[in-house]
Amino acid sequence: MKLGLIELFRKPARFGVAGASLVLLTVLLLFLGGLLDGLYRSSTGLLRSQRAELVVFSSDARESLIRSRIDPETRAQVEAVPGVQSAGGLGVALVGGRVPGEDELANLAVVGFEKEPNSMPMLDGVLGPDQAFADRTLEAAGVELGQVIEVGAARTPVTVIGWVTDTDFLQQGGFWVQPDTWRRILGESRPDANLPPGTFQVLSLTIEPGADLALVAAAVDAATGTTTTLTRQDAVLALPGIREQNSTFSSIIYVTLFVAGLVVALFFALLTLERIGLYAVFKAIGASTRQIFTGVITQAVVVALVSFVVGAILILLITQVLPTGIPIAFEPARLVQTAIGLVVMSALGAAISLRRVVKVDPASAIG
Amino acid sequence: MVSNVFLAGREIRRAKLRFGLLAGAVGLLVFLILFQQALLGSLLKSFTGAIENQSGTVLVYGAEARKNVSGSVIPPPLQAAVEAVDGVGASAPLAEATFTVQAAGALTDSSVFGFTPGGPGEPTRLVEGRLPQSPTEAAGSKEDPAFTIGATVTSVNGDVELTVVGLTEGSRFSVAPTLWVTFDGFTALRLAANPDARAVLPSLVALTPAAGTTPEQLAQRVNDEVPGVQALTRDQAVSEAPGVAQVTQSFRLILGLAFLVVAVVIGFFFLILTVQKLPSLTLLRAVGAPVGYLVRALLAQIAFVVAGGLVVGLALTVLAVRGASTGLPIALSPSTAIGSALGVIVLALLGSIVTLLRVARIDPASVVNRPSLGGLA
Repeated sequence: MKLGLIELFRKPARFGVAGASLVLLTVLLLFLGGLLDGLYRSSTGLLRSQRAELVVFSSDARESLIRSRIDPETRAQVEAVPGVQSAGGLGVALVGGRVPGEDELANLAVVGFEKEPNSMPMLDGVLGPDQAFADRTLEAAGVELGQVIEVGAARTPVTVIGWVTDTDFLQQGGFWVQPDTWRRILGESRPDANLPPGTFQVLSLTIEPGADLALVAAAVDAATGTTTTLTRQDAVLALPGIREQNSTFSSIIYVTLFVAGLVVALFFALLTLERIGLYAVFKAIGASTRQIFTGVITQAVVVALVSFVVGAILILLITQVLPTGIPIAFEPARLVQTAIGLVVMSALGAAISLRRVVKVDPASAIG
Repeated sequence: MVSNVFLAGREIRRAKLRFGLLAGAVGLLVFLILFQQALLGSLLKSFTGAIENQSGTVLVYGAEARKNVSGSVIPPPLQAAVEAVDGVGASAPLAEATFTVQAAGALTDSSVFGFTPGGPGEPTRLVEGRLPQSPTEAAGSKEDPAFTIGATVTSVNGDVELTVVGLTEGSRFSVAPTLWVTFDGFTALRLAANPDARAVLPSLVALTPAAGTTPEQLAQRVNDEVPGVQALTRDQAVSEAPGVAQVTQSFRLILGLAFLVVAVVIGFFFLILTVQKLPSLTLLRAVGAPVGYLVRALLAQIAFVVAGGLVVGLALTVLAVRGASTGLPIALSPSTAIGSALGVIVLALLGSIVTLLRVARIDPASVVNRPSLGGLA
């Protein structure tokens, strides 16, 4: 291992080509992962941020939050189901918002809610009819605390009184308001989507402690006959394109990881070939196959780790010059996962050289 | 050349597994490139095909919509103001919304456009049947098997029944099955979906310019004279639709990196082979084989690997396109396939330059220094 490291530090240029290739692949992997996470976060925050475990849609909406309608009668039926502790109405309107001092409109997902999302403090009536909690992502659009944003076609003035995080919906910034404010904005901006008082798009359900989620969901749908109840995670996956997005990007990421292994395998095969004579000398003076092989693997792991760090820095720089609309997010879990994937594939790739190292004949050192 | 191919071919036959694996790896990369291109093309077509293939050459959005058809609403005063702009040849309201409909015995989400027959905004890629003329008729996207001529499509509550009288191609919207109905048909569907709707307003105003006015000029005039709207030419409406530019840029970056990896993998492989064969190549040079002979043999092997990779990649892509369950009608255009293949060939050659130079620089005299070839160390 020590020998491998000494060679790496003394002759780093020798590993330059493999390192450069892995840097390239790291950039590709992190970009793909960042895009996947960014798209996922900015599309699903509204639902993921719910504290409640179940989401109730009207069946004819086919699990679309925007097309769903739950009227007060249906809500009463839902609340009467054993196992349901409480229900909170939820609705969204996708509109533009005029931010003071900004030329561009902010993309707002105006959310009318009855139950606070994860990142919001318990309000107890603190939120006024023309006030909102804005998602931190809207800071990029110039939104600040205390500002009055003109929301929707009717330019309804709404003051930002606090921040929430990770609550965006379909790539529009979460803007959390009272249900009546949301209903008014929805009706004014989209008269064809108008909803009467008391009607929400979906309900979020908190269930009794110890109750079975699946059983309660089934009981709710049986009681109403007009609803489809999903767990929060299933509701997230039912959002348009989320499942397809995940599977497509994951496939590309796995193929890219495979290619990374292949590149490392090819590189170390080359390196081993060039050093066969040297290995023969090592063996002749008593080095074991295991010692030589450990050195090779160590080099692969170090090259992969250094390449990962350089690639990660590069992708961070690249994202600074990307157009602002590209939803890219770097999750620590994704970074760790990519680093591990790259190191494992590199080690596996380098392990391909084992056969050649084993076959090195010490006697060949003397011709 | 025959002997070059002979030498290269003999080596490939002796190391079938090695060359087969490399051709497979290149095939995998070619597949990655081709499938992503097919996906990108189909995604963009399915995003904005309806906008691209309708007859309005200028589309006017509500300013609030930020170029998003689904988020746009044009109230009657704005529509009247737009229609009064000098240079408007013809105008018609165009509405869009996604509805749940019953088609072919199943509920499906469908993007529905309401247009005025004979006016700007009607679909232009009708491939079968005719365009709808009454509120109970519809034209459906041919890519979606639920829509066939004569089929019935109903609103989810059963109040509105539409008969499919025509099929369109390349005219989907928001990656969803798409129906084209008259504006009255659209109003009926909207009211069936939401009885509490206060009004059913157009999403856009579709325009065609009067003689002597270009779409660009008309769009500019509308933007200058009517506050609260945003007029775009049809091409702008397609390329500037939310998400389109970002999707295109993201995929281009991914594709660029994938192309680079092809060059690296092929370059590495042939470098390894050459280093491995250096003694034999040196001997060949020493017994009189010219540099060109060895270089051509190497090029023949590169051609074999790249050709094999292209065949494998293309086959995988065809299979993936057929079996893909992405919800998109994915198709790979011949021009995309040819362009990508040429790109791979060029990059393979670029990636092999180091190897080619190494072969070209072999010194025949060095044979005397190689003990394995009978020389002195």
